[in-house]
Amino acid sequence: MTIKIAVIQFPGSNCDLDTLHVLNNVISNGIEAELIWHNHFKEAQFDGVVLPGGFSFGDYLRSGIIAAHSPALDEARIMLKDGKPIIGICNGFQILAEAQFLPGALLRNDSLKFICKWVNIKVENNKTAFTSKMNIGDVLAIPIAHGEGRYYTDKLKELEENNQIVFRYSTENGELTEQANPNGSLESIAGVCNLEQNCLGLMPHPERASEPILSPKQTMHGRLFFESMVEFIKRRVS
Amino acid sequence: MPKVLSNGDELDVDLTEPEIKQIKNLLERDPTITEWGMFDVMHSEHCSYKSSRPKLKLFEDAEKNYDYVLAGPGQDAGVIDIGDGFALAFRIESHNHPSAIEPYHGAATGIGGIIRDILCMGVRPIALLDPLRFGPLKGNPHSQWLFKYVVKGIADYGNCTGIPTIGGEVEFDKSFESNCLVNVACIGLGTIEDFKHAPSKAYNPGDYVILMGGSTGRDGIHGVTFASRTLTEMSEADRPAVQIGDPFTKKMIIEATLEAVKTGYVRGLKDLGGGGLSCALSELTGDGGTGGDIDMSKIFTREPGMNSFEVMLSESQERMAFIVKPVGLETILEAFRKFEMAHAVIGRTDDSKVLKVKDGDNLVVNLPATALSDAPTIPREEKRPEYLDKLIAQQTPEPTKDLEEIIYELIASENICSKEWVYRQYDHEVGVRSVVKCGEADSGVLRIIGTNKFLAASVGINSKHCYLNPYEGAKGGLVEICGNVIANGAKPMAMVNCCNFGNPEIPESFWYFSHAVKGMADFCTQLRIPIIGGNVSFYNEDEVTKTAIKPTPVIMIVGIIEGKENIITLPFKQTGDDILLIGDTKAELGGSEYHSVIYDLEGGIPPHVDEKNIKATWDFIFELYKKNLVKANHDVNKGGLIITIAEMCFKNNLGADLDFNGCYNDKLRDDEFLFSESVGRFIIETQPKDYNKIMEIAENLNISVKKVGIVIANPEIYIKGLKGNYVKLDVNKMKNLYEATIPNLMEI
Amino acid sequence: MDHQEYIVELVLENKPQARDPVGTTIQKDLLAKKGYNMVSNVRSGQYLRINISAANEDEAKEIVDKMCNALRIFNPVTQNLTILKVTQKN
Repeated sequence: MTIKIAVIQFPGSNCDLDTLHVLNNVISNGIEAELIWHNHFKEAQFDGVVLPGGFSFGDYLRSGIIAAHSPALDEARIMLKDGKPIIGICNGFQILAEAQFLPGALLRNDSLKFICKWVNIKVENNKTAFTSKMNIGDVLAIPIAHGEGRYYTDKLKELEENNQIVFRYSTENGELTEQANPNGSLESIAGVCNLEQNCLGLMPHPERASEPILSPKQTMHGRLFFESMVEFIKRRVS
Repeated sequence: MPKVLSNGDELDVDLTEPEIKQIKNLLERDPTITEWGMFDVMHSEHCSYKSSRPKLKLFEDAEKNYDYVLAGPGQDAGVIDIGDGFALAFRIESHNHPSAIEPYHGAATGIGGIIRDILCMGVRPIALLDPLRFGPLKGNPHSQWLFKYVVKGIADYGNCTGIPTIGGEVEFDKSFESNCLVNVACIGLGTIEDFKHAPSKAYNPGDYVILMGGSTGRDGIHGVTFASRTLTEMSEADRPAVQIGDPFTKKMIIEATLEAVKTGYVRGLKDLGGGGLSCALSELTGDGGTGGDIDMSKIFTREPGMNSFEVMLSESQERMAFIVKPVGLETILEAFRKFEMAHAVIGRTDDSKVLKVKDGDNLVVNLPATALSDAPTIPREEKRPEYLDKLIAQQTPEPTKDLEEIIYELIASENICSKEWVYRQYDHEVGVRSVVKCGEADSGVLRIIGTNKFLAASVGINSKHCYLNPYEGAKGGLVEICGNVIANGAKPMAMVNCCNFGNPEIPESFWYFSHAVKGMADFCTQLRIPIIGGNVSFYNEDEVTKTAIKPTPVIMIVGIIEGKENIITLPFKQTGDDILLIGDTKAELGGSEYHSVIYDLEGGIPPHVDEKNIKATWDFIFELYKKNLVKANHDVNKGGLIITIAEMCFKNNLGADLDFNGCYNDKLRDDEFLFSESVGRFIIETQPKDYNKIMEIAENLNISVKKVGIVIANPEIYIKGLKGNYVKLDVNKMKNLYEATIPNLMEI
Repeated sequence: MDHQEYIVELVLENKPQARDPVGTTIQKDLLAKKGYNMVSNVRSGQYLRINISAANEDEAKEIVDKMCNALRIFNPVTQNLTILKVTQKN
């Protein structure tokens, strides 16, 4: 079966081509990913959607806020209720948070500087549409590149009770230390999901960690996200 | 500065009286104020290169002499054919003076400008590099402020447009204190087809002229007084000296332009920089042998009541001019609409060979299209500075400290220490092409998806060497920057340069420029490296003290690596491997970090370049590469070979057991040997089993190669075989010093 | 009803619980270090000045308040919105 994935392009999205490349050329596996201009997005034709990284609308006013009002998010809301897989990467996560698909907000890094480096994230929940191929406690090597990645929520208890915290920044050995937290995120949270577990947002970039040639230790943990998504879609259909 | 008058409007022009007369003769009338404005801009040093053109003629004709050079100097960017149907465009530019006033916006708009130049060649910008220069940071809040905000400006702009900054260089020296240097380089990638779709020449009468991008305001307009308006209505104070960049609009321009180019309907493409619309149009039509008929009222403006002078000479950012085939007009406009880019059809080309601009019924510009580009050159005097002989005769003092202490001081010094504080702020991974990243090697390496090729790029120059001998220093810079890409496994393909010098009207300053250019020309001709573009920034001098910056002819080299297995990186990999030194070390400490950091000396004998030797060395290294004999490679530069070896230990926490016995002659002292900055040397890591094979190849090619030690597991460096000293260094201590300097200094 | 033009000035700032590293850095690393110890706290925020046509001052404030909430011009999870001043444009 062909799995149709939309990669939404907002004015200012930067990682759309990168994500498309990984989906179509690296993962393949029946995926037919397409770049869709945000105003033209119609959810019915797609099995899943990716909101890629970048600086939608220049990050003006607040990262992700203007894109959150795009008609593309109205369409995505239908998919959200429908249980289709939705992933927001970096700026995509910021957009999903502003559009209230996901709880919390992303604030300026503690250091007040943009940070581009490889980090480790620990898997806390492997039941989401994007983490089924992972094991709880797995430590994945994925790069970050952001200036506003500090996760904050006033509903921490709820998230913990509902198993909505999916990834935390950690050391290579899975320890949650201050050193391992690159931006001051609350409780080292790197990624969260919605109650129904079909929508995931995270600050690190799995599309940059899907090919050994790009990874410092030749890993390709990024693939697990998209392979999980394929598995999830196949299960839904059957 | 002379004033010209036209109908009561007055303009200060940077033109000589003979030039003014020549212009009036050419037109057989008095120019309008707008036309005067255009001549003023186009004949300025910045646009016309009137001082530098005579010297730049020394560069050989790249397009003619190299079959893979598709565009050479004089175009918006140089372009080379790299095979497999792909083309690379690259260019380097300066944005020095704006950055010294307002570092954040100056640097940001510098990035904006260089991106546009690459776009004009019809290809996608895929990498940025930034060579920067400031006064020393220690104890100097002003330098710290400039450094912090230049880096932030580059980071914010580059990150927002989604173009990775993959390399760069920072040099600190007192001479840059009041004149920081911000040079920015950009590389673009596209197919040969894309490139062919965007020649910046309008050569068909009847084509549409379209303006796209940001709106036109009063930015950059100065030196003019309109009769029709009082001074208070347009106060200089209300307009910023430096413009505010808008990377979001730039990103949209990139996408809209590339989409337009792909349609095949774009015949000409130009970005609006100095001199704004009028100059872009005259370049487009002048180069293409056509004329143009422009209606000013169609141009969308940001402020009310702008007159023709203001509209035609505005330097508002983020604007592009397109020449479009009539049959494709609607398609192109549709592309612009999709990205919600403001645009307007402002006129058409014709066969009159005259550029005509109408403001209502008034013809405000009526110039032969080629009139503006024919600026005269000005011959400048050169004189070798008198202080040089004494400076070069400076001897290296005998060290009064232990060699260990000296080495620890050097590894922590501002020009040698880690620049991680800088590149962590750049998104250097966007685009999923970055294979060898900042800090991992001498140059940044990007993969070219769809091929088996990788590009390696490096940028820099040693201004201290150039100060003592600009000819040798420029050649030495080429040796070093080519050495950087070669150390990564790449063959140098082409060069662009950015010449930053003082006031060309001062003979000593011009002498530096003239000899640096000659050095570049001679070296590149001999080593067969085409020079495909360049930029000149003069007048980088302190107004008050009249001291010029150290001569800084920044060089950028792009090279190609064929095959992933041929990528070489810097760090030592394996305990037990041999460490070999390629090349001879001479007592060339002039302008070295050793002299400046330890003794505060600027003089001495700078490194000399022997082209034949360099060529043979490079051939040797490629022979070794062919046989897969090299595991790591790092070319020797600032601080000398011991710093080079230390840097190779850092990543994998290894050490080195060194023995320099027999590696250098009697005439050199230990410190001279360790810290000499003789160019063209490399430190390579090889397997012991290949030693004899390597030495055989070296002998055949007459290359000096010496085994200087082995890689060890213990993170320490032992140095034996020196004449007087035994040195032991702690690698972790060195690494900490190396990494701590800039973060500690930037704690503001 | 006659509509006048009003200028509404407002500020968006991070809630204290969400932290304000920009404000903290300015106070601790700049002011305190440079001898301005009498400064005990700095908060940072974004300033917006909105020209709006409305029947009266109250209506102007009301519309601005409504639109900032409806469009999330400020993020209610992490920010507070304060209208500083409303003036009538002459």
